[in-house]
Amino acid sequence: MPDISAWFNDLLSGNLIFTPTTLGYYWTGLVTTTQLVFLSLVIGLVLAVPLAIMRSSRRKWISLPVYVYTYVFRGTPLLVQLYIIYYGVVFFDGIQQSFLWPIFREAFYPALIAFTLNTAAYTTEIFRGAIKATPKGEIEAARAYGMSQGLMMRRIIIPSAFRRALPAYGNEVIFMLHASAIASVVTLMDLTGAARYVYSRFYTPFEPFLFVALIYLCLTFAILFFFRFLEKKLLAHLKPQTL
Amino acid sequence: MAATPLEVRNIKKRFGDTEVLKGLSLEAQKGDVITLIGASGSGKSTFLRCMNLLEQPDEGEIILHGDSIRFKQTRHGREPADMKQVVQMRAKLSMVFQNFNLWAHMTLLENIIEAPIHVLGKSKKEATEHAYVLLERVGLTARAHAYPAQMSGGQQQRGAIARALAMDPEVMLFDEPTSALDPELVGDVLKVMRDLANEGRTMVVVTHEMSFARDVSSQVIYLHQGLVEEAGTPGEVLGNPQSPRLKQFLTPNY
Repeated sequence: MPDISAWFNDLLSGNLIFTPTTLGYYWTGLVTTTQLVFLSLVIGLVLAVPLAIMRSSRRKWISLPVYVYTYVFRGTPLLVQLYIIYYGVVFFDGIQQSFLWPIFREAFYPALIAFTLNTAAYTTEIFRGAIKATPKGEIEAARAYGMSQGLMMRRIIIPSAFRRALPAYGNEVIFMLHASAIASVVTLMDLTGAARYVYSRFYTPFEPFLFVALIYLCLTFAILFFFRFLEKKLLAHLKPQTL
Repeated sequence: MAATPLEVRNIKKRFGDTEVLKGLSLEAQKGDVITLIGASGSGKSTFLRCMNLLEQPDEGEIILHGDSIRFKQTRHGREPADMKQVVQMRAKLSMVFQNFNLWAHMTLLENIIEAPIHVLGKSKKEATEHAYVLLERVGLTARAHAYPAQMSGGQQQRGAIARALAMDPEVMLFDEPTSALDPELVGDVLKVMRDLANEGRTMVVVTHEMSFARDVSSQVIYLHQGLVEEAGTPGEVLGNPQSPRLKQFLTPNY
């Protein structure tokens, strides 16, 4: 492959910003962003399903605590939540001596916790809306056919609600990707952090930020296509059949 | 002799201040087809929905094969004491709804095998084989893998009847099964129901289809404002109505 590497070196030799070193920063940033967003989404999703069921409960003492949680996390900026968890937690007595300290000392885990709690709150509300929108007749049919509350939840309400929630959840995933840019303010070298670093090293704002904007765009497109594929598969039942 | 498959005694139900059912009783012996007729608001659908406890009757007894449903008093009124018993009882009474109520995210076949597998505990293979027999009966074999939204109302309702049959129910409850259908689709659904009646299924049917009531039922009950106004064989009730109200109800107003 001498041709390609020669071409690549040629491309990079003309400028100071896109050197193998800076590309390494971007790569680390991309990995961090992906890890952060992916992990927080997965954990958030796992938390959101039971929370949404609790939130839909008719019993106040089950639904109210979840409502308070989602209200607080949707009612405050993610940046403030991140600051509270990253800077605030240090002031708890004894945390620096506890086994939790190695976790909170790093920037990654507080960011992960903030993002997870935030996305779990939004996802809970998305799912709750979808659960509430389950056609009454389908629930009635499930009851009339002898399904218990739990079975009905598992077989009818959740699968139906999950499909309905898919388009809104796709937006939430894209939103989380974009929101993850603020992780850079707590010293995390995510994509935006890498761009900021290159910017401060070379004092060239345009190239690094345009470059990471491009990477975010590509990631967004990948997410969009993934969800379009899922919707095609899972929402087939809503489309009229073409014979 | 086997006990009566379904017996309800003195059902009363009120919504707020309105008493919609004022003490209704019914006894379905094996093979009976009982049709409930009456103007809208007469309580016939509510009565039917009390039979499988989709509505909670405030008073009255529901007895399946001599086994009476147990109730308890709570703050919210009377509720079933043992939900397990209710679940078992519902599995024996399958219901066909006015708006079909097929589960939209499942194909027709999946709709049919859902409750037999997860409520009755049948194997998937057994349930699927039975489902295809039933699909054949209602003439929907070709639509097995279609979703409800892809089927016409008449197909959905015949599919819903197949779903009800898949439970091997002792009594089938029909809640105005043809009222939401276009006129030209009613015939197919009624034909399936006639076949079921002829093969000796026990059925309780709320309907506006007088010809169905006349031809098929063993007993017709005319309800008015939550009370039985007239009851008897189709010949008696429909052929020789006594009360002026029923006479007027049966007179086509065109």
